[in-house]
Amino acid sequence: MKGSISGINEQILIGTGTKPEKTYYIALAIAVFCLLIGAVAWAIEIIYGMGVTGLNSPVYWGVLITNFVFWVGIGHAGTLISAILFLFRAKWRNSINRSAEAMTVFAVITAGLFPLIHVGRVWLAAYWMMPFPNTNNLWVNFRSPLIWDVFAISTYLTVSLLFWYMGLVPDIAAMRDRVTGFKRLLFGFMSFGWRGTLREWHHYEVGYGFLAALATPLVLSVHSIVSWDFAMSMQPGWHTTIFPPYFVAGAILSGCAMVYSLVLPLRHMFRLEEIIKAEHLEALIKLTLLTSTIVAYAYGVEFFVAWYSGNEFEWAIFQKRATGPYCFYFWVMVFCNCLFPLAFWSKRVRYNQTICFIICLLVNVGMWFERYNIIVSSLVEDFLPSNWGHYEPRLIEIALTVGSFGWFFTWLLIFCRFFPLVSMSEVKLIMPKPLRGDGASAAQKH
Amino acid sequence: MATEHADDELAKLERLSEVYAPSGDFERESSARDTGPYYAAAEEVLPELEPEDPRVSGAKASAEGKAFPVDRRDFMRLFSMGAVVGATACVRRPPETVLPYVTQPIDMVPGVATYYASTCGLCSAGCGIMVKTREGRPVKLEGIADHPINQGGLCGLGQASIQGLYHPERLKSPLLKQEWTYTPVSWERVYKVMAERLKNKKRVAIFTGGATGHRHGFFRDVLRAMGSSEELLYTWEPNGLHQAMAKAHHVAFGEARIPRIEFQEVQYVLGIASDIHEQGISPVYHAKGMSQGLSYQNGKMGTFVQLESNMTLSGAAAHERLVIAPGSEALAALLLVEILYDHPLAKGSNEERRLIKEVLHEHRKEIAGGWDALGISQKQLSAVADALVAKPSLVLAGGSSAFTAEATKLQLLTVCANILVGAYGKTLILHQGWHTNPVVSGDVQRFIADAASLDAVIIIDSDPLFTLPAALHIKELFQKIPLVVSLQAFPVSSDEVAHLLLPAHHYLESWGDEQAVAGLWSMRQPVVRPTTESRQSEDVLLWVLAHLGKNLPYADYLAYLKERWQDLNRVMAPLVGFDTFFQAVQRKGFITQFSSQVVGELRPLATHLRGELFAPKKDALYVVSPLDHRLHDGRGAHLPVLQECPDGLTTATWDSWAAMNPHTMTRLALKRNQVVQIKTPAGEISLVLYPMPGVHPQLLVVPRGNGSQDKRNTIARGVGVNPLALYAGEFEPESGQPITAATEISLTGTSTMYRLATLQKHNDINSRGEIIKNYSLAEMQTREHMTKDLDTVPDLFPTLAGAEHRWGMSIDLNKCNGCGACIVACSLENNVPQVGREQIILGREMQWIRLDRYFAADVDHPRVTFQPLLCQHCNHAPCEPVCPVFATTHDPEGINAMTYNRCVGTRYCANACPYKVRRFNWWTHAWGKMGERPQDRNPRALNPDVTVRTRGVMEKCNFCVGRLREAKHTAKIAGRKLHDGEVQVACQQTCPSEAIVFGNLNDKFSRVTKQRSNGRAYLLLGGDPEHGHYGLKTLPNVNYLAQVSHQARDEANHHQPAASGHGEQSEHA
Repeated sequence: MKGSISGINEQILIGTGTKPEKTYYIALAIAVFCLLIGAVAWAIEIIYGMGVTGLNSPVYWGVLITNFVFWVGIGHAGTLISAILFLFRAKWRNSINRSAEAMTVFAVITAGLFPLIHVGRVWLAAYWMMPFPNTNNLWVNFRSPLIWDVFAISTYLTVSLLFWYMGLVPDIAAMRDRVTGFKRLLFGFMSFGWRGTLREWHHYEVGYGFLAALATPLVLSVHSIVSWDFAMSMQPGWHTTIFPPYFVAGAILSGCAMVYSLVLPLRHMFRLEEIIKAEHLEALIKLTLLTSTIVAYAYGVEFFVAWYSGNEFEWAIFQKRATGPYCFYFWVMVFCNCLFPLAFWSKRVRYNQTICFIICLLVNVGMWFERYNIIVSSLVEDFLPSNWGHYEPRLIEIALTVGSFGWFFTWLLIFCRFFPLVSMSEVKLIMPKPLRGDGASAAQKH
Repeated sequence: MATEHADDELAKLERLSEVYAPSGDFERESSARDTGPYYAAAEEVLPELEPEDPRVSGAKASAEGKAFPVDRRDFMRLFSMGAVVGATACVRRPPETVLPYVTQPIDMVPGVATYYASTCGLCSAGCGIMVKTREGRPVKLEGIADHPINQGGLCGLGQASIQGLYHPERLKSPLLKQEWTYTPVSWERVYKVMAERLKNKKRVAIFTGGATGHRHGFFRDVLRAMGSSEELLYTWEPNGLHQAMAKAHHVAFGEARIPRIEFQEVQYVLGIASDIHEQGISPVYHAKGMSQGLSYQNGKMGTFVQLESNMTLSGAAAHERLVIAPGSEALAALLLVEILYDHPLAKGSNEERRLIKEVLHEHRKEIAGGWDALGISQKQLSAVADALVAKPSLVLAGGSSAFTAEATKLQLLTVCANILVGAYGKTLILHQGWHTNPVVSGDVQRFIADAASLDAVIIIDSDPLFTLPAALHIKELFQKIPLVVSLQAFPVSSDEVAHLLLPAHHYLESWGDEQAVAGLWSMRQPVVRPTTESRQSEDVLLWVLAHLGKNLPYADYLAYLKERWQDLNRVMAPLVGFDTFFQAVQRKGFITQFSSQVVGELRPLATHLRGELFAPKKDALYVVSPLDHRLHDGRGAHLPVLQECPDGLTTATWDSWAAMNPHTMTRLALKRNQVVQIKTPAGEISLVLYPMPGVHPQLLVVPRGNGSQDKRNTIARGVGVNPLALYAGEFEPESGQPITAATEISLTGTSTMYRLATLQKHNDINSRGEIIKNYSLAEMQTREHMTKDLDTVPDLFPTLAGAEHRWGMSIDLNKCNGCGACIVACSLENNVPQVGREQIILGREMQWIRLDRYFAADVDHPRVTFQPLLCQHCNHAPCEPVCPVFATTHDPEGINAMTYNRCVGTRYCANACPYKVRRFNWWTHAWGKMGERPQDRNPRALNPDVTVRTRGVMEKCNFCVGRLREAKHTAKIAGRKLHDGEVQVACQQTCPSEAIVFGNLNDKFSRVTKQRSNGRAYLLLGGDPEHGHYGLKTLPNVNYLAQVSHQARDEANHHQPAASGHGEQSEHA
């Protein structure tokens, strides 16, 4: 029943019900192994102290905060694709929004771990960062960008979770209808007894629209607030007003690239080529190209302002970034985020999934180095030359980074195994009206 | 009522001391006179102090209750020791069981510190120290404020010595060498063995370090009583400057005196390789003097010009520094004398001029051809000479970086120069209050000659094997002596030749005295119950004598001292009874009576100045090994706080290095951190290179102090290299000191690279002139009268103007000389852990105050600025708003406070801090097991007033908030306000050059307020408020006073990449 509305269910749920490709299990094994590496590394860090990292004075933040910003950034494309593009009624999003949302949720959960991993006393940080009434009348410092972070990230996680789960409800109901026994009970509970009545669909659509509207400002706010972690301090290289839009654009760039690099293999693993079509992927690449140019512009403006401001400290940092001992990271960033994506101007490249996949991976590398570059190259050389130092990540930090990927992919792969990777209800929405008789040929055009 | 109670207590004390006669077998076997109370056992006089739990007790066998007749002296001895010291000092708190006193000892309130005056015992400068003790434990050493030598200051070495007291690697009991192993033995056994082996021996010697009090006299008395000769007392100090100066003045005027500088009179000082700020004669005294006499004040400033080939702290502090060729110091002095002699304003009587003319005649050849070898032009030296004769001035020469074969000749020529500039009697004082020489010149040579004939030698507080050049084969000499006894407060390398290793008291556990300046007697008294089974060295000798049946008539060294002090009593305070006198000195720490003595006429010098003066070859490389300004000759190497205190110029810690001119390194294609092999005919060493601007291109500087191979010394072992292996063991003929400079070397680079643990990784100021502000003297004379207001800025936030206190600090960049005493003081006051070499390489030092060192101008002639940097206590602190949990906040008195308990360790505050003065606890630093890792420290040496911090917590300078609080409480109890200067923070208190002033900024009349409104004041990164630029606008409560230079300087343009090696590159390249 290929191409029919009922066939959609078959195609999408094939992965959730039956055994996936062997590559899935290999991927899952690798992810869990990486996760274990990270867990051991964190345990070592908690037992012995932050000294096991390569952090020092003056580089008090390094790879761990880089990872935090990186994962928050990854988390951005999901909401952008599901909420903003939903509001704009961009139909190409419907085949990938589920995976993008799932990615968002797991990326934000991953990001949320890093502030905990990086603090000196995690056993206290977990609850002292939360404002709760207590007999000592001790509150958090509402002036601190780190507290804003706590609120921003937790709000974003909550809304993303709701949004994602809400989209899942009709699909879980569809899954319920295909199984029996305990599973049926469980899916029935998870879909809140969804029956697919017109009334339910009406409420669902309205609610989804509202949530989308609610989530939209978060796309902009979360990474703006994350950027304030840097911009609100006096550190040259950090203290600049361009950071919020620059970070948001970067986040969307990295998010789109990440969605692409995730969807492509999953599409293969779960045999979804029919549903996630080449045109959808091409649209994603266009969005990547757009944000890449914004990011490139931001890099340029940052340099210009550093020079134009006449602030010798700021300008010194930027000169050092491009030419100093950390210039490798800078040029990786420039090439991966600004220059390689220029290939996307060519339509042939946009349809060449191998090249796109490679460039998207490079963009992810580039975005990671962008954050590393902002954090480390600014911290190593600040106002007083006697402060200046050096930073190199040590094994524990690399292990924690690997572990974060393990953690992220473990969740993602488990999710793919048990839940539909593509929103069945939304794919059905954009299908042409079913024709009596053989509607397959008409449906295939989409 | 209260006095009655105290009287009762005293009466009880007396009774107790009667009941508790000294215990231990050996004491009982000795003669009746020798049964005096022994300080080691506080429980003897106060049994209730002995913890009931035997595990924590001193494990002293209780006395059998033997009564003994108490005469007046015994009573007084008991009274002074027991009441003044014992009653308060001799408590060891059980580490586990806390029990309240059944009867509270008088004079002791738990939690309240008791202070004892004593004298520092680390070098022969004789600084007075005030020992803060808490519950019987010394916790901090500070200079006595009115002590004439150190005037409150104390160098890093002196302060760090408290770590030596508690050092767990001190010997726990005497060790006797049997076959190849050492076995712990009782003291009784020690005395027996020594008595046995010394019986009927005529040639028994004592080899000891320098001392200026009655100690050497006592040793001579002991040797005489033993039947040996007092000739067999050998004294040795590696700092040869005393000997050279004393010898030169002996030759010139017939008196072996070291002149004292009258700093009030001086306006111009010429140093010729002087190490006045490092070891010199008396580093703290001279730093104070230079600071008070020569630094900028009220529009006037003296001048200090230094000629040197090595880069020293003194050279860094100098207003002008001229680089001369290695080993050409005497030549420089000669040429100076030549210029001065012909100068129309030159002083000196006809007879003196005639004698000087003789000298010049002797050296006419060098005068004619010496300029080329010297390396500076006649014009430069003439300009110096013009200034010298025109102003009240003096020439100050010599130091450990110029100890060549001509060290005494240099001093003699300096005497000539000083005569010609009219220094004697005016700026140099020889007739009164001169410095004394702590050793007898030439003793080491005598020892080498005599060694083969000695029957026994007792080494006391000296480490000849480590501190004398290996080429002298001192070890073999000692090995041939039938009995070698080593009596040391801390194990030293020389112990390896000893048959008996005896733990001596640390100087904080000992009685003693010093007379570092003629007429100034400083008292040393024990301030703690001995921490190990050690004995006072002098007492050990007395007991040995007793066992030999050749008693001296003294129960112990204290009795000997008292007898000597009775003479002083008669001279200095004849109206006062001895006991009152002695107690008064104990309380005060010192007593002075300067008497004038005639100085002889100048004697012919020419015979002592025979022979051509050394002129270095043009293509050779030379090595010099000055004493390290922190570790001295290595006596500080076992103290972690000193190893971690950075060397002023390299900022290196935990290591030795070879400093070399960067241009020479480029020429020889050598790199920073490259290990080089240094060879002389005497030996060779391998060492890492450090590019040091300002060092003469032909010179390699390898400091002494490190390189111990002693397995028992885990702190110093394997740290650095001992450069004395390079020297041939020749002696400077006049002073009898081994030569440790201007020795020709050959140098080869190796392929090994080695990271030197430097605190400052980047040395160039990058043209950021606003960090170090500089005014010319002429500019300052106009600025002097202007008042600044650094605190009134356009601002929306409330100020602390209404508060009673707003604490502030002012740091004078003109005065700081980079000695590092502040770092040591801060570390000890605030329980700052030492982290070791590896962590420092990673950039994880914990010190709350650091010394930034910037080189400026060109590499061969750099200017050096030291900038002590601590938390600036900003009123708009960038660290405060960013902390998510309010762990760092502003207190109502302007202090940027840390709440350790609240800190979760996000480290955002440290990122936000533009000064990077915050320190994060990357680890939990172990306090309980010193010796396992170099950074570990004994918890008993901790200051109980300051909490220790755990891993994951940020910390930083808190303006010694505990000291502030204590002072405020005192004032509150007394119902008054705090006086200005009443409370001092630790770094300020100890600063030998008085660069730091601390006080209340809300008090219009406080010193700190006056300095803050001075025309020189500026805030670091505070822009240019005079023109409405506020920089970062952090508004620190710490301000700096700009440097003042004699010539106008354009700082921004002159701060070229002078830094080590290749400027721009930081160390990691």
